[in-house]
Amino acid sequence: MTRFILKRCGLALVSLFILSVTIFVLIRLTGDPATLLAAPEAKEADLEAIRVQLGLDRSWPVQYVHFVGGALRGDFGTSLYYRVPAGSLYWQRLPASLQLAAVAMTISLVVGLSVGILAAVNVGRWWDSAGKLIALLGLSMPSFWLGLLLIYFFAVYLHWLPTSGRGTAAHVVMPAIALSGYFTAAHMRLTRSSMLDVLGSEYVKLARLKGLPESWVLIKHAFKNALIPVLTLAGINLVLMINVAVVVETVFAWPGIGRLLYEGIEFRDFPVVQTVVLLGGVMVIAANLTVDILYAWIDPRIRLER
Amino acid sequence: MTANRRCFLGCVALILGLLLIAPAPSAAAPQGTVTYAVHITIAPAWFDPADNPGQITPFIIQYALHDAIIKPMPAGMMTPSLAESWTASKDGLVYDFVLRKNVVFHNGDPMTAEDVKFSFERYRGAGAKILKEKVEAVTIVNPHHVRFHLKAPWPDFMGFYGSPATGAGWIVPKKYVEKVGDDGFKQAPVGAGPFKFVSMTPGVEIVLEAHEKYWRKTPKVKRIVMKSVTEGSTRLAMLKRGEAQIAYKTDGPLGEEVKKDPNLDLVFSGGIATWWLQFGEMNDPKSPWHNQKVRLAANYALDRKALSEAETLGASPPTGSIVPREFEWALPVEPFPYDPKKAKQLLTEAGYPNGFDAGVITPIPPYYSFAEAVGGYLGAIGIKTRVQKMERAVMFDKRRKKELTGICLCANGGFGNAVTRIDADIVSSGVHSVLKDGEIDRLFEEQSRQTDPKKREALLKRIQQRVVDQAYFVPVYQLQWPNGVSKAMKVSGMGLIPTFYYTGPFEEIELR
Amino acid sequence: MPGSIPASVSSASPLAYPRSRAWGRLRDGARGLPVVPVTILGVALLAALFADWLAPHDPVLGNLRHRHRPPAWLAGGDAGHLLGTDHLGRDVLSRLLFGARISLLVGFTAAVVAGALGTAVGIISGYYGRWVDQIIMRVVDAWLALPAISFAIFLAVLLGPSEMNIVIILAGIFWTRYARVIRGEVLSLKERDYVRLAIVAGCSKWTIMRRHILPNVINTSIVLSSLIVGVVIVAEAALSFLGVGVPPPKPAWGLMLADGKEGMMAGYWWVTLFPGLAIMLVVLAANLLGDWLRVKLDPQLRQL
Repeated sequence: MTRFILKRCGLALVSLFILSVTIFVLIRLTGDPATLLAAPEAKEADLEAIRVQLGLDRSWPVQYVHFVGGALRGDFGTSLYYRVPAGSLYWQRLPASLQLAAVAMTISLVVGLSVGILAAVNVGRWWDSAGKLIALLGLSMPSFWLGLLLIYFFAVYLHWLPTSGRGTAAHVVMPAIALSGYFTAAHMRLTRSSMLDVLGSEYVKLARLKGLPESWVLIKHAFKNALIPVLTLAGINLVLMINVAVVVETVFAWPGIGRLLYEGIEFRDFPVVQTVVLLGGVMVIAANLTVDILYAWIDPRIRLER
Repeated sequence: MTANRRCFLGCVALILGLLLIAPAPSAAAPQGTVTYAVHITIAPAWFDPADNPGQITPFIIQYALHDAIIKPMPAGMMTPSLAESWTASKDGLVYDFVLRKNVVFHNGDPMTAEDVKFSFERYRGAGAKILKEKVEAVTIVNPHHVRFHLKAPWPDFMGFYGSPATGAGWIVPKKYVEKVGDDGFKQAPVGAGPFKFVSMTPGVEIVLEAHEKYWRKTPKVKRIVMKSVTEGSTRLAMLKRGEAQIAYKTDGPLGEEVKKDPNLDLVFSGGIATWWLQFGEMNDPKSPWHNQKVRLAANYALDRKALSEAETLGASPPTGSIVPREFEWALPVEPFPYDPKKAKQLLTEAGYPNGFDAGVITPIPPYYSFAEAVGGYLGAIGIKTRVQKMERAVMFDKRRKKELTGICLCANGGFGNAVTRIDADIVSSGVHSVLKDGEIDRLFEEQSRQTDPKKREALLKRIQQRVVDQAYFVPVYQLQWPNGVSKAMKVSGMGLIPTFYYTGPFEEIELR
Repeated sequence: MPGSIPASVSSASPLAYPRSRAWGRLRDGARGLPVVPVTILGVALLAALFADWLAPHDPVLGNLRHRHRPPAWLAGGDAGHLLGTDHLGRDVLSRLLFGARISLLVGFTAAVVAGALGTAVGIISGYYGRWVDQIIMRVVDAWLALPAISFAIFLAVLLGPSEMNIVIILAGIFWTRYARVIRGEVLSLKERDYVRLAIVAGCSKWTIMRRHILPNVINTSIVLSSLIVGVVIVAEAALSFLGVGVPPPKPAWGLMLADGKEGMMAGYWWVTLFPGLAIMLVVLAANLLGDWLRVKLDPQLRQL
């Protein structure tokens, strides 16, 4: 087992290396930050001065080694646009992203699981159709549209919730709902189908034959087993939520890392982009690694197979 | 959640009550908080005028935090502020500035000639190179008198030093900057402006508080909060819900909704960005745009008023020149009228009775709907175009390298005077210029050597007239923004300075 | 001349037989084909194919003086613009019809490209195993960690915006989903007796992958595609919102939503409602069809 874990960790580092080189090259291929930082009418000499000042006149390998060397010491360089350390920007924004993702995940699990179970138990009946409708709305409404509808209805029309920004608990409600839309639908679908699988399995039939009460069968036997695939998916989705919330963050002026990345790309703020992608990558790869290790722990055959 | 609403109403009642009980507001104590919903992300780089990039954006905050020797004010483009007065010697080699005596920085230090000299020498933003090449020395005559010595007469000196074209004339406290360093200054800036820095959350908001000892007058508002909200619909929602009192840039349908809302006012900003069409292949004899009649036809094809209505709710005055009319030495030009019949006739005369395919039209991002509308008008007289969407940095790069093909829906929003605009966009060596007109280049060369101001002005106006006669551009309008302002504001500060996109002067802003 | 008759007879009969059998099989397959999704997709497809004839106006040209006209049945509406006009005075109905063409094309092409790439990678990775698998899965991991938005802007910059790029971007985002699922399936297929037999019989790896593995995973791929089409069409809207979607003034439903969002608060609901409904209906149809296919092709696939 230890050997397995060590091997997997080593491979995760390979993924991180691929990622860091990719983003380093990608962002540099997209153009020169100097043209965005200077006045549109600036002369070429002014641009060159900016490049020298920011260290962008050095060769790529030198810049890469400099970046990785700094990153290993926790220094991610200075943001070209904000002129403060990129690492501190990231750590300032991360709690907002975590909060948003946690609330959105809670909503998507509570709604997804309960509607999914109700739909599976009442397959083909009213609840099932209602569940399908909810899933459809979640799948087919772009989050910016849902977000703006929420703002218009709950903030402007009803005056119940603040429109945007981060502050009180009330601030997180609408962005979390807007972000959870797609994920609620995904969790609901999966719950429904895995519940149906389990309900059709031999041992649930057996439990029923034994004369156990239906509610007991549902909770003790069916739900527990149906939960495993849903939680696996949710674990990976949680990380996705942290990293893909840029649209929702823009609509609600939520100070998360999605917007930091988006603006970083827009302004060609190399240090910020590298920091967000790399630290986000650590998160994604760590989540995958955890899932892999957990699986290997549950099912020893996997260790041998790979 | 209804508790929230009740609380909100309660707060409103309380504030109203307080206003009724309180004696008539005296000039003494600033009060109340004004929250801004700002359309861009405020960067700490903007707190330091020494790094000004030559764009107008940093002044969204510098007009509050800092003050300049001379700056645009409601009274005029070059209103003495930290200087009481300034004089230029007859030979154009020496400029004298007499400083105000009662100016203190936010930290209590008085402003002196030392700070002015320091700020100039420290300046490293746009135009720093040319300023330092031309200025021989800055000497301190006495603590309230600074003298600039030029190496040679330079008629544009005040255009650079006395306008927001650069940040060289914006004064920072020498002692404080030397104590905290450049990075420390960006974390906690200190200036001589009407509002002092309280706190900043990068990308989220910045909080300012009244500088009660501001020399012009005590600001009327106690606190200013600027929140970055890039989504326009959300800015409008904040305004409607009373979370913000001022929302920048509520254009298009957002502005229409502001107009309809009885609690809001639609207020126009000032502004100096002119928009125009220019033609990448104009110098190629095979291109239809080589023909002056075709360019003239395009000029008659646009309904500039309708464009201004659709894009900016009529805020932007149509123009016939790419030089803003407020600028020194600008030639005021009436825009061409909307006359599609004449446009078609000109096209026929030019040999294109059925129009032609003009390829792409590339706007400066994100003004795509503007470009679509312009393309629609050109299409109506038979000039077919399609909008090319280009990512910001790519577009800037291509424009700089003059690699943009087809039509560019371009703009210039830089401060300066007619010379700076001609230098950038009209002479063939201009950074963005697509023109190749020997006559213009010759006239421009001549004016740069001309020391008689009258003769120089005449030369500059001849250049501008030639641009109009040749219809080298299709000027559209001088962009100004519609903004949403709550009725709670007595003075929003929007549009007070005719050449300025943001609110100012901040000491005039007042709640009802 | 006489010789031509038997020739035609002899050629007709063998042709006729399989044709009727094929038709019969098709009819069998279509039995129980769900009416609702097929109708919706059929209508959308017809709109896409015949937009040139159906659309009452040019979808790109508008008149600023007629902007924000409400639908014809409302006060202030114009009979010439059944569903009203947008912020540039363009006819919403015409844009909706032409939008079907772009949205469906982008949605289906992206799903097919992503499916083909992901399936191929999944099969190779799962079948070869060992270091090939390791390398491919490390790349997939790194790819998953690269935020889609940076990839989207990167492509928009390098290639310039076009529908083709949107397809590449979306396929580039979604192929990994196939790769992981298919790889897992191949891992278990490899242990089946008939695959082992084929190996023992000396079939080449290529043949085994093509003849024995691919036919068994293609169903999964098809079902997954039907689910991803909807997600892709919605994702296009998000890209448009961020300014890297289908380049205007081309009408795509997602772009129409993003363009019209500023009018929502001013009461111009028709500009966004109709494309929103169109997206919703197509997503509904794709999902229902996917559900049906899933049951039809392989009941084991419920978990997708």
